[in-house]
Amino acid sequence: MDLAALGDCLGTSSCLIFQTVGGLKIGLLMFLVASGLTLIFGVLGVINFAHGSFYMLGAYLAWQTMALTDNFYLAVLAAALGVGLFGVLFERGFMSRVYRGDVLVQILLCYAFILILDDLVIIVWGEEFLSSLGIPDAFHRPPLFVGGAIVPVFHLFIIGFSTLVAVALWLFMTRTKWGKITRAAEQNPLMVSALGINTSLLFAGIFALGSLLAGLGGALAASERSISSGMGFSVVLESFIVTVIGGMGSIGGAFVAALLIGMTRSFGAIGFPLFTDGLMFVLMCLVLVLRPQGLMGRSGG
Amino acid sequence: MTSSHDGISRRSVLKGASAAAAAATFGFPAIVRAQSATSIKLGIPTILSGRVAQLGISSTNAVKMAVDEFNAAGGLDGRMIELLIRDTKAKPEEAARVVRDFINSEGVDVVFNCEASSASFAVQEVVREAGTFCTHCCSETSSLSADPAIHSENSFRFARQGIHDAVASATYAAEMGKKKGIKKWMAVSPDYAYGRDSVEQFFNVLQQVDPEAEIVGYGWPKLFEPDYTQIITQVLQKQPDAVYSALWGGDLVSFIDQGALYGLFSGIEFFGINLADYTTMSAVRELPEGLHSGTRYIAAFPDTEANHAFDAAYHERWGDHPTNWAWQSAAGIDFLIAAIKETGSTDSGALAEAMRGMKRPSPFGADGTLTMRAEDQTVVNYALGWGTTVPKEPFLIDIASTDWSTVYEFETAWKKSQGYI
Amino acid sequence: MKHETFLKDVAIGIGVVLLLALLFQVITDPGIHDLIIKTCIFGLFALSLNLLVGYLGLVAFGHATGFATGAYVFGLLMQTGTWTIPAAMGVAVVAAAALAAVIGAFCIRAREIYFAFLTLAFQMILYSAIISFVSLTGGDQGLMGGYPKPPFLGIDLSRPFDYYLFVCGVTVICVILLRQVIQSPFGYALRMIRDNHERSYFLGIQVKLYQWIAFVIASALAAVSGVMMSLFVTGAFPNFAYWSMSAEPLFMILLGGMQTFLGPLLGAFILQLLNDLVTEHTRYYGLVLGLVILFFILGLRRGLLDVVWDKVSDRRRKAGTVRPASPVTGDAEARERS
Repeated sequence: MDLAALGDCLGTSSCLIFQTVGGLKIGLLMFLVASGLTLIFGVLGVINFAHGSFYMLGAYLAWQTMALTDNFYLAVLAAALGVGLFGVLFERGFMSRVYRGDVLVQILLCYAFILILDDLVIIVWGEEFLSSLGIPDAFHRPPLFVGGAIVPVFHLFIIGFSTLVAVALWLFMTRTKWGKITRAAEQNPLMVSALGINTSLLFAGIFALGSLLAGLGGALAASERSISSGMGFSVVLESFIVTVIGGMGSIGGAFVAALLIGMTRSFGAIGFPLFTDGLMFVLMCLVLVLRPQGLMGRSGG
Repeated sequence: MTSSHDGISRRSVLKGASAAAAAATFGFPAIVRAQSATSIKLGIPTILSGRVAQLGISSTNAVKMAVDEFNAAGGLDGRMIELLIRDTKAKPEEAARVVRDFINSEGVDVVFNCEASSASFAVQEVVREAGTFCTHCCSETSSLSADPAIHSENSFRFARQGIHDAVASATYAAEMGKKKGIKKWMAVSPDYAYGRDSVEQFFNVLQQVDPEAEIVGYGWPKLFEPDYTQIITQVLQKQPDAVYSALWGGDLVSFIDQGALYGLFSGIEFFGINLADYTTMSAVRELPEGLHSGTRYIAAFPDTEANHAFDAAYHERWGDHPTNWAWQSAAGIDFLIAAIKETGSTDSGALAEAMRGMKRPSPFGADGTLTMRAEDQTVVNYALGWGTTVPKEPFLIDIASTDWSTVYEFETAWKKSQGYI
Repeated sequence: MKHETFLKDVAIGIGVVLLLALLFQVITDPGIHDLIIKTCIFGLFALSLNLLVGYLGLVAFGHATGFATGAYVFGLLMQTGTWTIPAAMGVAVVAAAALAAVIGAFCIRAREIYFAFLTLAFQMILYSAIISFVSLTGGDQGLMGGYPKPPFLGIDLSRPFDYYLFVCGVTVICVILLRQVIQSPFGYALRMIRDNHERSYFLGIQVKLYQWIAFVIASALAAVSGVMMSLFVTGAFPNFAYWSMSAEPLFMILLGGMQTFLGPLLGAFILQLLNDLVTEHTRYYGLVLGLVILFFILGLRRGLLDVVWDKVSDRRRKAGTVRPASPVTGDAEARERS
């Protein structure tokens, strides 16, 4: 523990900018993935424990598209759509069969997919890790110097893009018909089906959107992270923490919680370098014990 | 017969291994016994699945090359080597189970251990109790052979070691430090035993050879950390002259890719002990020029005909370059076959006796030979060096090799400080 | 009545242990011995978890906390070289129970998926602590270097037969104890809580207290299996506390069946056998295991022993001998599972 260092950092502008921008980037990437998880939980009431594997699949699909077309934006798009499609198949073919089963069955079904997908990517892409996608040419420029801190231009892109996605999600949920139905389904699924809305379609659509977000997060993260089988697990754990802290089903909560975790990681690395992981779990325990519905969740859990 | 998991031809796996396993499991014992009465059985516990599968695959690839050659030449008076390869999924207790099974059910003559560190200690416990002959070919943790408390008469290590690497790194770093005026050091290393030991031993030796070296900070990302942003920003703020790192594989690649976004390597000398592995260097998007790395396995070092020949033969058969684990396993199987030929037997005690102090010509030796040091039963005099990176093959140039007399000197001091001697 | 079933259980238990002892002498293949040993260890681990999952309806995703605590405390005490095995075992179990008492007090406040995550979170904190506390636990390398196994009561656990019989005996004793718990009024109360939360409240059952006690008992039994595991590897490793170690007994429950008392034990046997056979043939163990799980979830829709039991009770019903659906729960069919 090094609280003095943390105090020093908070007192200097360069350190503050360094860690804040880093924390924003980590947090917003985390938000992309976690928002998908929380969206699915909010409407369908199931935890997609295989969400991290969808993130991994996004990274691999992006890598493959990149290898074929050498176009970064196309790679990200293909990964998002591909994983979204995979999500629909997963929901229709498997998940929808266990909605009424108990939690154990849902968890184990997802776990089976984690195991299968981890091996499948090895069979298809080999057991050795793959290199990252690299960043698009447009961002191949020297980093910016802001108040004594260094800020990579590409990180600004990730921050901006993720924020746009968050805003778009918010607009979708509050301004569109389907968004309103989605929120109604969260409150009262019976009423929605009573109104003659095809809930199967709604569920498949929500699963597609949630999976798409995981794929998008995976592809963007792969721009600077190496890709390997099993890379999804730490991500799904983080996403859970974000989801639980923010309130399960709450997109806004996920946004706040992801930033909170991002900052915890960023500043925690200075203050508690060996316990940043433990710190996240402690935060989650605190929330579960003191406020089980999460920061922005509805009460009742 | 090399019935095993190939990774490349899955069909041969199913044919070969399943025939043997089915026979053993579903009961045609007579056939199996008749065959195995004459064969020399090597049991290989290793990691074939998950993210370090390359460890097991490249190790067993190297072993298969040597064994096929041995068998093609008629074996030991007609006794062929048979390989039993099992995936232990990187779990120590699974490694213990597999090795017990090898010894008790399969009756292997040798446990040819290709496990990572923690499982190697579990394997060592089992073979120490059973008295089976054992070679450790992947664990780099020095205490495995240096600590007399876990010593076994019949266990031999064929792998580079943390303390040897630390001496090589520190002497090279001190020299570079003089040349480039490096005073302030920082470490970025994975937060687990290997990463911590590597940093501690490196700085320990460095401060002995360069008393002016100052440590300004540590960054400890966890193993398999995907994002290094918060570590990189800390390095930039501490402004060291150089960074020492024991990151490896995909983690190291991520760190370099992410660091490059910040322009990290333009102002800071980077010393990555595990960078010069073919898979790692070829995976870095844009390998910056002038990074320093230790030689894990690289065809250009030692720059001898024998080493290039090994690389070429491996590449021809497996379509890939050897890894650090591949050369270690190749050295292990070479010594083992030599010992079997010399003693004409597979008796554990006889093999151990022949192995102690054995010296053999080898592509991986510092002077063209490797020695199995008798006192702590670990391989020494292997090629050790550091060089700087270039973006294309041979990837590493200006390689300076380490003087083994210096290594021995510091190693002895280290052993004393640990209370091992 | 209760006394009688206890004596019957004990008689069966003694019979099983004798049979297993005989098996050891008849089948000399140590691979089979190891298979039985691991089935016992993981079987007890899964059975103890099923007290929560099957009988209480609480999906605990952090059951390895007890397992790892047992293994580490036992291993650490034995490494001092001054402890006897029974004493160290006793302390290890008590330590795990005490830890579970604290963790349980927090966890039982949460329900369903939240309970699962909270137990997982506590387990991951334990895992982080084991990894970081290198000077005590050896960090990621685990407790290395082995420990002596001093003989007690004429039992020398460094001898394979003694260890084998010890594991079988301890497992049988624990299984009998667990059955006593389940058949006691306390056990019936647990099932009532599972089936109808509100009614239990009205009947004056202190739901949280009962859940907490069950949590502590389950963790203590998990610690016993952890101790036996530590003896198996003469050490302890951090992956004992990793999340995947908590997933394994859930698989076993799924494979064997949660409605039938001994289902998880059968599940443990299946999983061990699967592990041994599959890893000899392919390195894509995860793929195979995943497909097997899918088959059980979507194909069979319940564990193997449940299937067998349903068949048996179906036949009995047709034959006119009406009996409760399950030997223990008595109300398995009342609990609709999709």
